[in-house]
Amino acid sequence: MINFEEELKKFHPSLEVEDAEEAIYNQDLTDMADLMVKIVKESKKAGE
Amino acid sequence: MNCYQCGCTLSEHDFCTNCGADVALYKRIIYISNRFYNDGLERAGVRDLTGAITSLRQSLKFNKNNVEARNLLGLVYFETGEVVAALSEWVISKNMRPKKNIADDYINMIQTNQNRLDTINQTIKKYNQALTYCNQESLDLAVIQLKKVLSLNPKFIRAHQLLALLYINSEEWERAKKELGKCLEIDTNNTATLRYLKEVDEMLLPEEGVKNSSKKKKSEEIVKYQSGNETIIQPVNMKEGRGVTSLLNLGIGLAIGIAIAFFLILPARIQTARAGIDEDLRKVSEQSDAKTATIDELQQQLGELQAQNETLQQDLAAYMGKDGTLKSVESLMKAAGAYLTNPDDVIAVADYLTEIEAERTQEEEHESSEAFDTLYNTLLALIGPKIAESYDEDGHAAFWAGNYADAIPNLAKAFQYDATNGQALFDLGNSYYRMGEKQKAAEIYRQVIELFPNTEKADKSAGFLAEIEGAEE
Repeated sequence: MINFEEELKKFHPSLEVEDAEEAIYNQDLTDMADLMVKIVKESKKAGE
Repeated sequence: MNCYQCGCTLSEHDFCTNCGADVALYKRIIYISNRFYNDGLERAGVRDLTGAITSLRQSLKFNKNNVEARNLLGLVYFETGEVVAALSEWVISKNMRPKKNIADDYINMIQTNQNRLDTINQTIKKYNQALTYCNQESLDLAVIQLKKVLSLNPKFIRAHQLLALLYINSEEWERAKKELGKCLEIDTNNTATLRYLKEVDEMLLPEEGVKNSSKKKKSEEIVKYQSGNETIIQPVNMKEGRGVTSLLNLGIGLAIGIAIAFFLILPARIQTARAGIDEDLRKVSEQSDAKTATIDELQQQLGELQAQNETLQQDLAAYMGKDGTLKSVESLMKAAGAYLTNPDDVIAVADYLTEIEAERTQEEEHESSEAFDTLYNTLLALIGPKIAESYDEDGHAAFWAGNYADAIPNLAKAFQYDATNGQALFDLGNSYYRMGEKQKAAEIYRQVIELFPNTEKADKSAGFLAEIEGAEE
């Protein structure tokens, strides 16, 4: 049985057009490739 | 694919040929990203938009520079009505690859149309307002607001889902199902939609649930549920008879069908056919009447033409000689023949010419030919004086002998063939006078006075004329 209150909590306000800029800036764009490069660099530093 | 360290284009080797960096793991990461992109593309192709979003986000987690994956993610967001999310992805994509990027077109498509942008913004605001109403438990207002949202942006899945949830909450199952159906048309594999739908289906088709519960409560024979404002009561244990009963029902149905066809359809067909036959009959009758009228008219014309033909035949018979030529022509031929045989037989020729004159008077309606006139005039010129002289002699002989009856025709012909013979005309008048035919005599005297004025004959004619007129008075 669906619980209305619980389901309602899953709905979040949608971003308005004015907020798009902020959302873009705040987006975390770090990917696996970045992590790998970071790990490689750190391992190199540790080796030196 | 470029080296993460120096940016040089990588080869098939697991190291960069320029800087020597180990790129095996990096290549693997890029491959995985591409694989997720392919998966996302495939899912988007079958409208599994939720699955496509998951795969494309995974793809971007492995490689944020996968511009194709980002553009497609934006497009999928846009299809689900998440316009701001779509714009965000496209803007980032454009930032990563400023040139030759289709995201540029997508952004322009939205930004160049200010009305569209305003509508999108308004839709989002109304949706957020509806969500606020929900949280404030103003569910009716929320429904109204969501309906407005969906009229502006019918593809906004979250709005459809929220509206369905509100319908479920108010136990309006049919409406909820309708909204969820619209969700599935846009996104076929949305988990929330499927979960809500399952709940709704269970409420709308409770048979299975009843079957389970029937073991516990055999006495319960009906199922009752609410759809909108209506309470639907459905008997559960009612089963239709099978086998013989089905065949019997089929037979009854067939009999009813045949009876309907016989009593309702057949008379209508017969009526239609009769109407068609009557129409045909009417047309044939009209055609027959028209033809009868034509035949009557033609028969009338035929009668008129026959009568005309008979008249003409009679006229022609009157004009024709024995050999079928016109009498006047025949007389002319005879006159010419008589003259050629004996030019001195003036009387015979004169008789024929007299006949011609008489016939020409009868045939005055018909114009004689040029050849006829020429021959006639020639003949008249050749023997006219001789004829006139002969008649003059015979006429005067009869006149002096007191035989006025013979004198009159001869003197008349003498003047006819010689119009200068005033004495013949004067004596013709005298013959009439002495015969006692005063009127004719007076007519001839007037002619003498008119044609031969200032002559002795004219003076004498005037005397006789005065005498006749005095006697009449």
